[in-house]
Amino acid sequence: MAEVHVIGQIMGATGFSESSLFCKWGVHTGAAWKLLSGVREGQTQVDTPQVGDMAYWSHPIDLHFATKGLQGWPRLHLQVWSQDSFGRCQLAGYGFCHVPSSPGTHRLDCPTWRPLGSWREQLARAFVGGGPQLLHGDAIYSGADRYRLHTAAGGLVHLELGLLLRHFDRYGVEC
Amino acid sequence: MAAAGPSVFLLMVNGQVESAQFPEYDDLYCKYCFVYGQDWAPTAGLEEGISQITSKSQDVRRALVWNFPIDVTFKSTNPYGWPQIVLSVYGPDVFGNDVVRGYGAVHVPFSPGRHKRTIPMFVPESTSKLQKFTSWFMGRRPEYTDPKVVAQGEGREGKAWAQWLSLCLWLRS
Repeated sequence: MAEVHVIGQIMGATGFSESSLFCKWGVHTGAAWKLLSGVREGQTQVDTPQVGDMAYWSHPIDLHFATKGLQGWPRLHLQVWSQDSFGRCQLAGYGFCHVPSSPGTHRLDCPTWRPLGSWREQLARAFVGGGPQLLHGDAIYSGADRYRLHTAAGGLVHLELGLLLRHFDRYGVEC
Repeated sequence: MAAAGPSVFLLMVNGQVESAQFPEYDDLYCKYCFVYGQDWAPTAGLEEGISQITSKSQDVRRALVWNFPIDVTFKSTNPYGWPQIVLSVYGPDVFGNDVVRGYGAVHVPFSPGRHKRTIPMFVPESTSKLQKFTSWFMGRRPEYTDPKVVAQGEGREGKAWAQWLSLCLWLRS
């Protein structure tokens, strides 16, 4: 079986109108992939920038996969939330990016979006907070039912991922 | 070339904690330690250290320079648990107590060669205003008993950090 190591960090986020952000992340893979070590999902701490406007998380990611096929190459999906001084959480954006497929260190910028509701919901969000959220997280990384959504842009999430591949040449895959 | 058992590889890291930018604080020292998985073990060098105390230079740069050496070699059979270097910076507060000014962590680079890393530093923040005031007054800021927690992914939810500044690291692996 070929093996893939994904080792890196979710560095932080920029461009969000809210401060005090945290990120829930997860990795989705196809059926042929098996996670040998590492946690498949997690949540960062809440960060409040004091200097500048980038929220830094430096959240480590260390995953070790074994796979029998290339289909379902891992995708990292992210949900960025903001927390206000009362402890309430509001969605700031959804985003996903594919884990890179060439070995080495990669800097990724993942754009995010959030669902827009009707004008009433947008007005309520501006005053009271809240706002529509996805019921099922699959729409974040799958293109299947996206045409139903109307969304607005969020900020960017910055990641640095290093990739180590092993035994792919045995199966005739060049990387 | 085919090995019968797991193959061992060595990772040699040498470099320095060069300097820091903390606009609001002075007279700082830093501690480093390495966090790694179960399949890793240090074979040579020091995996922990404490630097000297440095003050801001009098010239226009206002630089805080440590130039603190790091020299360690690890051996492992598995890339999982790739070492991370955890840095904690401490300095005196207005009452003279030693308080934590920031924690940060970064993975050791994967590719051979010279790498420069500037890492953001975080300070855990108290959630209530009263606790913030008493901790400022008593000099007992929220602090981690084991700084290695900073390098872990689990258990981070629910903690609030205020981010202060950056620390510059040169690493060669």
